[in-house]
Amino acid sequence: MSAEGEQSVKLVSSDNVEILTERKIAERSMLIKNMIEDLGAPGEEPIPIMNVSEAVLRKVLEWCTQHKNDPAPTQDDDADSRKKTTDIEEWDQKFMQVDQEMLFEIILAANYMDIKALLDVGCKTVANMIKGKSPEEIRKTFNIQNDFTPEEEEQIRRENEWAEDR
Amino acid sequence: MNTRRTPMNGNSQRSSRNLAQIRKAQLHDAGHRSSDNVLASLRATQIVASKPVLPAELIATILDYLPVPDLMRFARVSRRLQEMVYDDTRWTQKLKAMGVWNEHEARQRFEEAVKRKAEAQRAKEVEQARRTGVNLPGSVNGIAGGGGRRHAGSVTLFDAGEEEERYRQSLDKPQSPTLKRRGTLADGFDDLTISPSLPTSASAKPWDPSIALNVLKTLRSIRGRARHEFAKLYGALGPLYTDLARAKNHSDALIFRTYRDPEQQAQILANLKRFAQCDFAPGWQQREARLDSMIHVFETAVLREFEQGYAAGDIDGLMHRYAHVLVTINGGAAAVETFISTHPIISHALRAGNPLDCLEAVAPGHIDLAPSAKFFETLASIMREQAETIDRVFPPTIDVLTPFLTRLCGETIDPYLTALLDEAHSNKNNNNNNNSAETYLKAVSGTFTQSLHFLASLTASAASPASFLPDIAKQLLIQSYEKHLDLYLAEELAFFRSRSEVEVSEWETRQSAQEASTENFLMAGVSGNRQAAKRDFLSSFRKVVMMPVSVLPAFPLGSPFGGGGGAAKGGANGAVAASSAAAALEATRGASSRSRTPTLTGTPTHRPGTPASVVEAPRTELAAKAAVMNSRLEGIRSLFSIEVALNLTHLAKASIERAANLVRMGGKHGEAAKEQCAAVFVTLLQVLGERHVRRGFDKAVGHLSTYNPRQVRELRSSKSANVEDEDPETIQTVGVEPLVTFLELVNVGDLIQQMLEVFYAQELLAPRLIDRDDFLAPAVKEKKRFEQMLDERVAAGLNKGIDVLMEEVEFLCASTQLAADFNPGSEKLALEPHSHPHSNNHNHIHNNNNNGVTDIGPTPTALRITATLRAHTAMLLGGGSTDKAILDVFTQEVGLRLFGVLCKHIKRQRISVEGSVRLISDVNLYSEFVGSLRQKALAPFYRALRELGQIYLVRIDAPAASYFGGGAGGMRASRVSASAKGSSSSTSTTTAAMQAKELAAIIADTQRYGGVFTVEEVLGFAERRADWFAVRGEVERGMYGVGCLVM
Repeated sequence: MSAEGEQSVKLVSSDNVEILTERKIAERSMLIKNMIEDLGAPGEEPIPIMNVSEAVLRKVLEWCTQHKNDPAPTQDDDADSRKKTTDIEEWDQKFMQVDQEMLFEIILAANYMDIKALLDVGCKTVANMIKGKSPEEIRKTFNIQNDFTPEEEEQIRRENEWAEDR
Repeated sequence: MNTRRTPMNGNSQRSSRNLAQIRKAQLHDAGHRSSDNVLASLRATQIVASKPVLPAELIATILDYLPVPDLMRFARVSRRLQEMVYDDTRWTQKLKAMGVWNEHEARQRFEEAVKRKAEAQRAKEVEQARRTGVNLPGSVNGIAGGGGRRHAGSVTLFDAGEEEERYRQSLDKPQSPTLKRRGTLADGFDDLTISPSLPTSASAKPWDPSIALNVLKTLRSIRGRARHEFAKLYGALGPLYTDLARAKNHSDALIFRTYRDPEQQAQILANLKRFAQCDFAPGWQQREARLDSMIHVFETAVLREFEQGYAAGDIDGLMHRYAHVLVTINGGAAAVETFISTHPIISHALRAGNPLDCLEAVAPGHIDLAPSAKFFETLASIMREQAETIDRVFPPTIDVLTPFLTRLCGETIDPYLTALLDEAHSNKNNNNNNNSAETYLKAVSGTFTQSLHFLASLTASAASPASFLPDIAKQLLIQSYEKHLDLYLAEELAFFRSRSEVEVSEWETRQSAQEASTENFLMAGVSGNRQAAKRDFLSSFRKVVMMPVSVLPAFPLGSPFGGGGGAAKGGANGAVAASSAAAALEATRGASSRSRTPTLTGTPTHRPGTPASVVEAPRTELAAKAAVMNSRLEGIRSLFSIEVALNLTHLAKASIERAANLVRMGGKHGEAAKEQCAAVFVTLLQVLGERHVRRGFDKAVGHLSTYNPRQVRELRSSKSANVEDEDPETIQTVGVEPLVTFLELVNVGDLIQQMLEVFYAQELLAPRLIDRDDFLAPAVKEKKRFEQMLDERVAAGLNKGIDVLMEEVEFLCASTQLAADFNPGSEKLALEPHSHPHSNNHNHIHNNNNNGVTDIGPTPTALRITATLRAHTAMLLGGGSTDKAILDVFTQEVGLRLFGVLCKHIKRQRISVEGSVRLISDVNLYSEFVGSLRQKALAPFYRALRELGQIYLVRIDAPAASYFGGGAGGMRASRVSASAKGSSSSTSTTTAAMQAKELAAIIADTQRYGGVFTVEEVLGFAERRADWFAVRGEVERGMYGVGCLVM
């Protein structure tokens, strides 16, 4: 198995850049892992990662390298595991200190490449960004248009008064 | 400027976790896209190209990590996000995490609502049909319905409508985007109608501490309203929760400032503990840890109060109160623990008894179970008391008695038993004595029964589960016994085996010692009612078997079997029982003085006259009866003893019943105990069968084969000379001793077998130790083998027996048949061949008769032979249950062999015409006897024999008849002259010739003999005619007649 782990695989980003990486690192992505298993002969044929650009792919692989020795994610209870996730590790916090666009790209890539842990980290980071912000700030951050009338918005606020901190 | 970002459809179509959300998002998008202008979508795509956007499912994932206040703010960002936040599944998930969502209830409500909706729909349709499809009233209707959307339960007037509205609301939700498309007015209306349905109690009014107490109980599971329910909950508990997370120490926390009552504090803490389950936002660990530490602090304080209450014995006051508080906060595990471990019996402040008391000052092989009984009684009273206390202290929701009993078993009963049993067992090893082994066995079985009593006397507390008494408590007790079980079962079997073997070998040595000194030739009387006696014996045996072995002679709580009471009573009536036993024994002694059977048979008949005492002491009665049987069967005492068999079965019974107690453990231990019972039975069969009965049979067969009638006869004659008052009848019935012995043996073997059968049925089948239909069970197989062994021995013995019997018959023929019997004419001349003591008598009688020309009636020899045979066969037949096939074979063999002997015997005689009458009557006697055997196959032989008698009856007045009187000396001369004469006077046709012809015809008539004899054989018999030499020529001519004539 160690020989298998040291095998290298060739990934091709959406902008046609080939990136060589260890198989073990690449297999943090369930998408790539399944592909390798299906193809059978890793290393020979480059694996295309259609929706991810080179910069993002490199970033993702950086994370994968850091986490290559983590235990394999459990497939069964994703609902339950999400329920009680731990806080973000320090390394991951630093890793996620990127501009918002990159953050979203990473999340999308993690989603596409099926790297659950990375996706979780990304989502938590976004959640932390949202925390404590007013609706207007949130709109700004996420570039969302307000399609409520002021009355409507006030109505929703009153509806949810129970949740406000006192 | 429309900067709203539209996610690309391709994004949404990825494999998704939350289909509903996506579908909604798509619908939403579609709605907006249609209302926006065409350029907007174009712009949107441009922006998408430049800036990434998260698809709905990812936003949903992000939302999962948001704390509730942020979530609600997020809802205010845009319609789409509001939809996402408001999604019902998000809130049901939270409610489920706290365990307050009841899916079943939700479904029920939903289905009810559907039904009601359908009814309302129909009603509405009817109404609409009447109003002829005017639109306006429809909207009025809708407004009226909207008025019904109040806080649930606040207005009872609109009950039906309210449910319907609630339902519609939940149904409308996914469709709301399409509604919203219609315009802001409709939107506003929709939102407005939702808003009053929110729990204003939590939001509008100032925070009410009392709601927080019971909020968890008031929550309902309604689809589409999960958020509202959660809002109620959050409104009540949220402030406390966040405050707790922020508070520095417990005195500072809002809970302890708001609530003063420990019950309320506990309730709130418990509620918060549950509430914390839905906190997914980052930092929940710290919050939960804080909550836990708070609870711990609180719990410790309350527990201290509880302990004080316990120390003060304030059951209904402090203990009751704080137990409830502790139960409220976290199930009361701490209270239960404290409650149990502070009890003196658990903390070893109180000792219920010393296990070694049971072993002190008792005879070896016995055990005093009174101390252990007291031990269990003490425990039982403690348990009863505790059950009562528990009911008073703890709320009926938690089961305290079970853990209490668990601890009691683990810490008190278990060590007690281990100490007692180990001590008993090690005693056994030290002394290496069987008695001590018995102590151990009795201890195990006895204490187990006592512990079952202990179980039975327990009372369940109100909170213990329904299965407490039958299952849980029993399981706990059994655990204490588990480790002793294997050793016990092994010991039980080993003990039984060694004991029974010792018993048998003891008997054997005793017997061999006795055998050396006295040779026992006393005969067992052939009693007519042997069968009755046997039945009597068996019935008492059955009675005894059914009575339990009292392992617990003085058990105060009453015996488990209910028969133990009888044992106790037996003590009181001991005098009566003893006297009856003594009477029985006396009768036995009387019987054993050999003065024939009347007294003996009298004993069992007058016993039923005193049934009361009989029932009281069946064991002693049985012993007496065994003695009676034994004395009756004195003849076989040297072979095997019914007493030994009885003792063995008693041992086995005791063992099996001890082991059977443990069968009640159930489960695999019960199975093991059952197997052990079967093993004990198998051992019983082996020891009894192989070692005892079989050896006895072998010995008996050996005796038979070495039997020599002549020797014995001489011995007996010398003996009978000593015995003065020996009546002729005795002589008549005197048989072949070894055979008699053997036949008695068969009877006893049969009795033992029946005993075992009864034992098997009573001890193994009745308590279901063995499955009746399981023919492969080792016990059943062993029983079969035992029976087979018995049958085989019997068959082998009978084979020998027939030989011996026939030897006896031959001996009788040879020794008692007088030459004159069938040839009366020659008597005066013939000398007595030998003088036999018995034949003296007969000679005398015979001589009297002899003066007459013909003596009609069988000869004494025939009488004696038949008497002997009859006695022996009757003995076997009287035996009852000896295998029918074997019996048939035996009687047939007897008949055939007798036939052979008779043929030989006849050929040895010389028979005159006068004597032939006696011969015929002899033969008739024989065939009558054989007829009584009821063997059809024998009939032709004896018919042939009878016919054969005819050849002697034919009178031939040969001229040579005058030679006949010439005596022995003249015979030889006459033979020569007769033959000469026969040939010379061949031409003369005399009457003699005619008669000879007749005789020849009889001889040649093979039909007459039914194929039993050939002509040559008959001719051989005819040679035994006294006048054969005189008539031979005539007869032969008569037979081969004409040819000779011509020549």
